Formats: sequence, structure tokens, C-alpha cells
Amino acid sequence: MKPRLVKSQREMEGRFEDVWVLVDEDDEVESWPEDAELDVVGKPATRLDGPVRTSGAAHYTVDVALPGMLHALILRAHVARARLTGLDVEAARATPGVRAVLGPGDATAMGGDPVLTDEPGWAGAPIAAVAADTPDAAAAGLAALAPAYETLAPLEVDGGLEEQRFTEEPRETVRGDPDAGLAAADARIELTCETPAHVQSPLEPHAAVARWDGDSLTAWVSTQGMFDARRELARRFGLLTEQVRVISEFIGGGFGAKQGAGVEALLAAELARATGRPVRLALGRHEEQVVGGRRAWTRQTVTLGARSDGTLTGIELAAVVAMGAGGWIFPVAEPALSIYACPNVRTMVFPVRTSLRAQNAFRAPGVVEGVTVLEQAIDELAGALGMDPLELRRANHVDRDQGSGLPYSSKRLLACYDRASELAGWAARDALREPQADGLLRGMGCASQIWWGGGGPPAHATVRLDSEARALVTTGIQDIGTGTLTSARIVAAEELGLPLAHVVARGGDTAPNLYGPVAGGSMTTPAVMPAVRSAAGKVRRILLSLAADVLEIAAADLTISDGRIRSRDGALDVDVVEVTGKLGNATIDGTGARGPNPDGFRVNTFGCQIAQVAVDPGTGVVAVERVVAVHDVGRIVNPLAASSQAEGGVIQGIGYALSEELVVDPTTGMPVNGHLDDYKVPTIADMPEILVDFPNVADPNLPNLGAKGLGEPPIVPTAAAIANAFAHATGRRAAALPLTPARVLEVLA
Amino acid sequence: MPISLHVNGEHHNVDVAPTRRLLAVLREDLALTGAKHGCGEGACGACAVLLDGRPVASCLLPVGAAEGRTVTTIEGLGEQAAALQEAFVAEDALQCGFCTPGQIVSASALLAAVERPDRDRIRTALAGNVCRCGAYPKIERAILRASGQELA
Repeated sequence: MKPRLVKSQREMEGRFEDVWVLVDEDDEVESWPEDAELDVVGKPATRLDGPVRTSGAAHYTVDVALPGMLHALILRAHVARARLTGLDVEAARATPGVRAVLGPGDATAMGGDPVLTDEPGWAGAPIAAVAADTPDAAAAGLAALAPAYETLAPLEVDGGLEEQRFTEEPRETVRGDPDAGLAAADARIELTCETPAHVQSPLEPHAAVARWDGDSLTAWVSTQGMFDARRELARRFGLLTEQVRVISEFIGGGFGAKQGAGVEALLAAELARATGRPVRLALGRHEEQVVGGRRAWTRQTVTLGARSDGTLTGIELAAVVAMGAGGWIFPVAEPALSIYACPNVRTMVFPVRTSLRAQNAFRAPGVVEGVTVLEQAIDELAGALGMDPLELRRANHVDRDQGSGLPYSSKRLLACYDRASELAGWAARDALREPQADGLLRGMGCASQIWWGGGGPPAHATVRLDSEARALVTTGIQDIGTGTLTSARIVAAEELGLPLAHVVARGGDTAPNLYGPVAGGSMTTPAVMPAVRSAAGKVRRILLSLAADVLEIAAADLTISDGRIRSRDGALDVDVVEVTGKLGNATIDGTGARGPNPDGFRVNTFGCQIAQVAVDPGTGVVAVERVVAVHDVGRIVNPLAASSQAEGGVIQGIGYALSEELVVDPTTGMPVNGHLDDYKVPTIADMPEILVDFPNVADPNLPNLGAKGLGEPPIVPTAAAIANAFAHATGRRAAALPLTPARVLEVLA
Repeated sequence: MPISLHVNGEHHNVDVAPTRRLLAVLREDLALTGAKHGCGEGACGACAVLLDGRPVASCLLPVGAAEGRTVTTIEGLGEQAAALQEAFVAEDALQCGFCTPGQIVSASALLAAVERPDRDRIRTALAGNVCRCGAYPKIERAILRASGQELA
């Protein structure tokens, strides 16, 4: 082992940062040759935790019940901006069953910025928290607080530009000479479109349970980032990281909304510390919909210019983003900057402060919004040029990242166009526009996808093989439903040469102190799986060396697959237990760490979706009839789980296109549809036929596995493809999404 | 006055207000956490249980209304759901799994009423069970598979 610390670059949702990475040359493994016949990788596998999830036995954070546990609730501002003028903390404390009440300004053991406020600046800001013996007692304590406010006018997005009311400086990015590029164009179009505030709406709300044992804290947190939660809790409470254990074994959805400890874990820990009792704090549904997070509303204007052969000469984007109280500016301009070849581009992003919570991540944040408008503009340009929309996209294909000038490590977008076109019957699309027997207007539209998803260090794993030839893979994965723990089993089984049934993978617990990245940014597969393979590779090498001792043959002459050790000459063929059985109580252990990505490339994912819609001109109802989704994410580890990810992304994209929209009352600044009966997520009855395919070719420049992430790509182009299909069907384009019946009737009128 | 409940073949006397929701009693008093509190508003189906064999939103049902009737939760479905549970795993008809118990409760009520439901029937019966991860295509396949029907 020769460990070194090297400087490398880490990418998360398009943000790059320099990090030190622990590198061990023993972690390096050969990439599998392109024609290698793999036994486990690339074969469909069901999830190991399927039975526990289908039987109702899986314990999510909201199901954790500890002896003596208290129930906590948060008092939240029911106006968007206000000053608190009254709060009856004493009445709440006197409520039967109430054990602790925290108000703004109360002394706590928690360092850092206060989480409770007496000047709420956004809808649902936390004011106070109550812990009580029962949920009912906590609710009674909350009611006793009887807050009084002096209310202030909410901040709307309208007027934000004029008032220069920004959460940070607007961002302008310029490449080449966009004015000259647009002036030189043979055809030029401009399109303005609004995209809706889109709420993640995980079915398990944000939740945490905290328990202190002396100076040590155990927190069950429904989070995508248990290591971030651990660091945050340790810092806030002045603890060493080894004094904090975060358990996130089963997480009922996140989609970007559940980052770090969250206010829930911080308050649960503080209330548990104050009372000496375990505390559970789970958001209610209305709370989740109002404060859990959202993809920000945008208004984008795209101007495109092209020569008559379709070559883009200029792109301009102006995007207004309703940020809420702050948050990262997600890469809404990235599609305009990178998805097509264009020497002259200007993008401007205006992050307007409004009176909702800070926007947070929702599956491919920024890029979904950007693609949704840019790809509609590309179709408008195709119309102006009289070109086929897919041909226009092919004509502007680019094989390098134009911002950095670096080539993409691999890009099979043209193959995605071809395959999607074939699956969707693109060539016959105009026949859909002929009068239909059912009176519906039909059309077909396409859109391109770009996202990152290359992963990177740090990520660690161990593999332990016992005498019965059963392997345990330990990782820092939080499997939020993507099936990444199953992927870890697959990769380990392949490398170890064991049947999948002999390998178990664990995650969801910081106690082993094996770091894994946040379950976001399409990072888990490309970051963690190489570490798993490296760890398994070390175990395999040790096992072969022990086999050489037992079988009295050189290790180099032996292979392992499907649980059998064989000599290359075919003379020996024994069960692996013949060797491991000699271990007794000893185990073979291997550790693996994710190495850096190679210099000189940008690692991205690409794809194409084609949607077919049927519009009822009488009712305004848009039905999606079919979506074809073809995405290049390198090697596919588990085709079964991969198709599930793709289908799930498409279905969330359908919601974004057709029905999901958080509506805010301009007089109060409060959302008016913070429930699941009025914030409409898709149901099984809304489901189209979804055809999924992948080129499934390993990225030759991404070491170890050649696999990229798939969590985000499938949601990126769906809404744009649907909007383009709607325009193809009706000849009209809506100035705003989603395409609700009311909006469609207005557009068709 | 205690309320007498028949849950999963067992008899329980619970001393709670009759207006307390059945879901809260199941989860907090009987430690049956398979039914989930997804919305508390009858809008998501994660809390589905069978009441005399019919699926209901237990988050809305006052426990007093369940007195003297048969309540079956995901934990008590037994053989009735075994084929569904197997099919859900085989078809990967779940992602985060939080809605899955409710999906299987609704699906088992469907299969008890209709031996071989077609796609439209499945969509109607399951339309009240939200899956935010979007496992719907595979939920449909799993129900077809569990009822012994051909899969495309």
C-alpha cells in the first residue's frame, strides 16, 4: 500500500471544487474490456431489500419509536413576512404533557446561526418548537403559543428586476460575440416561457429522531446526506464526529429536498438534550409541501439565430429565477452554454428574492428549467427554418465542452437520437396531425438531455469475505430508492467471482465511518461503485493467493467465477469454500477508495426523449400517450433498476409539464395548494407507455467501471419534449407551463 | 371506554378517543407501522388498510368507526398478498418503498374482487395510491404478474 494525497477536482451538479484525495495505487483496477463477458454486471437484479420494503417491515425515520420518546412539532409563520409581536411560551410550557418549548432567542446548546426566528422572511419560517409526551399534547402546546404578528407585504417576483432585489449579483456569461452572431443569422426566433415552482413532495416528509447517550448523539434522519448531517450535528453541538451517529437506512424519497441534518434533526437533538428524552420530529404534509423545498419558478427568454442550414450563430438567454429567501443559483444557463455547438452565447440569470423558502435542489436542478425553455426555442427555430427538429439538433452536435474547451470523456447523443427516433416512429410523426377519429389533436416532440454524472472522490468501501464464502460490502451509501446498494452487491459479486446471492451490501449508517457522497448529483454509482470494485479486487487477489497455497498452484494460473476456483488449464475446478473454509473465524478484508477522474476531459451524460401527446380541444386535457427515453450514461450496472430510474424521472417530468405548480397567494405570500389533493402529482392513471433504452457502452475514459449516474438525466428533457409535442399537435405554444386544462383552453382560444 | 378492534386476526382493546384516527392507533398504539402517514388527508393512499376487506384511508377513519369490524394491515395480509409481494420485488415495482404497503393493500383488494384485472381496471383501482418515485409502469406489471397474466 502506497497512500498519497493528491489534488483533484470534484464536481457536484456542475460546480467544480478542488479537493485533496487519498490515493492508493493498490485501488487501481483494470477496466473490463469492452467485449468482456460479465457474469453479474449488466444483468437484471432485484433489490435485496425488496421483501422488507414490500412487507411493511422496513423502518423509515417516521417509524422509529424509542422508549420514552417525545413528539415534537414546529410552529411556523403562517404569513410570508412579519415581525413577531407576541408568543406565549409560558402557556405552551404549562400545557399538560409538554416537556420543552423553544422560542426565538432562547439559549440552546446549539452553535451556529439560529434556526428559530422572530422576523420570519418566508412562508413557513420556523418560530418555535414544542416537545411533548404525545403528538396531541405537542399540538396543544403549539396552539397555546398563540403567536401575534405585525405583517409585512410579501415579496413577489414581479418588480424584483426593477427593484434590483436579488439574493446575489446577477450572473452574466458571454462567449464570442452574441450580438454579431444573432445579427448574422438567416433565421432568428425569440421565445419567452415561464416554468412552474415544482415541489419535490417525497411521500415520507422530512423527519428526524434524536437520542443522547451521555455526550454521544444518535440521530435517525430522513436525509440524502448522512455524512453532511453528521458533520452539521457535530459542529452545532461541539462534538467530535465519532460522538455522532446518523442512521438513514430507509428514506421515503428525497429528490434533492433532503440535505444534511435539516432543521428537523437540529431541533430534535436540541429538544432531546433539553429533556433527556429521545425526540421525534416529523413534518406534516402541508408543512412538507410549503417548506420542504421546490424547483424555483422561472421566466426565461431565449433568442436563437441560425444560418439557413441550421447552424447556430447566436444564443441569448435571460432567466429570472424566483429564488425565495436565497439558496444556490442552479445552472439554468448550462443548456444554453453547452448543449449545442455555438460560438456566440450570452446568458444572464437574475436571482430575484421572494417570500418563499430558499430554493433547493430538485432532481437536475437548473438544467431541467433551462432545457425546458431552450428546447422549445430550438423547435421554434426548426419551424422558422423549415427543418426537422431532430435534424436541427444533429446539425448542431458538439463533442467538447465549449466552456472549458475540454473534450467529453464519451458522448453517444447521436446514437440516442437515432434509437429514440426509431422507437418512437419519428419518421411518421406528421401523420399524427391528420384528423383523428376520436377528435383529439395529436403530435410528437423531442428534446435533448445534458447533465453531469461522472462522480468522483472521495468515496470508500470495504469488502469482508468469510469462511463460508459470503461477502459483506460496507459502504456510505444512502439508498433513497434508486437501488444503489443492489448495484454495490452486483459490482462486488462480479469482481469477487461469487454468485450475487452470496453478497450483501450495507449502507445508511455513519457508524462504520466509510464515507459516501450525498445521494444526489447522479453521483452514487460513479463515485461509490469504483471504490466497491477496488475493495473487492483486493479481496479477490488475497483469495487467489490463499488458493494458490491450498491448491499448490501459482495464483496467476487461477480464476474465480460463479463461486468456483478454476485453473486456466482446466485441470482444477473447486468450490471457493474449499479455500475459504480453511479461514475458520478469520476473514479476508479489503478496502477501496475512489480515485480521481482523469484530467483533460469533462464527464457528462446525454440523452434524447420523444413524447407523443393527445390534446382534447374541448376540455383542454393533455394526455401523454408515449414517452421514449434513451440516455447515454456509460455502462449500465443493473438494467432493471436503471429502467426504474428512467421511468420515474419521466413521470416526474410529466407532472412538471402538465399538472404540478405551487401557486402563491400574492396578498399573503403563502402557497394556496400545499396539499396532495390540490398540488397534483401524476398517478398511475396518468401513466403513458414509457419505452426506455440505453446505449450501454462503458465510458472508456472513466476508469474502473465506465459507469455514470442516472438519477437525474431522465427528468431533464421530458417537459420540453411534451411541450414540443403539444406545439406540434396544436400549432400553439403556451407562454407558461404546466399545460393545465385551463391554460390549454386559453392557448387554443 | 375502550374500543374493541379486530386487527390482523387479533383482538385488541384500546383506550383512546373514538375520534382518533385508525392510522394513529395502528401506528402509535399497536406498533403496526406498515401503513404510512403520507398526507393525513386521504390524498395519497400510503395509509391504506382493509376494512372488512375493502381498502380505506386509515388516516381519515375515526377508530370508533372500525369497532366491531375487521381491520387488515399490510402486516396481516399473509397469503393474500404473498404473490403480490413477490411480484413487486421481481418487477422492481418499488423505489423508496414508502408507498409500497399501501399499493399492495389496494392491489390485494383489487385481486380479491377481480381475478384477472385488465390494465384499465388496475389503473382505476390504484389511482388513489401515489408513488412519487414513479414506479407505476412496474406496479402495473407486478399486478398483472401476480394475477397470472401475460406480460408484454
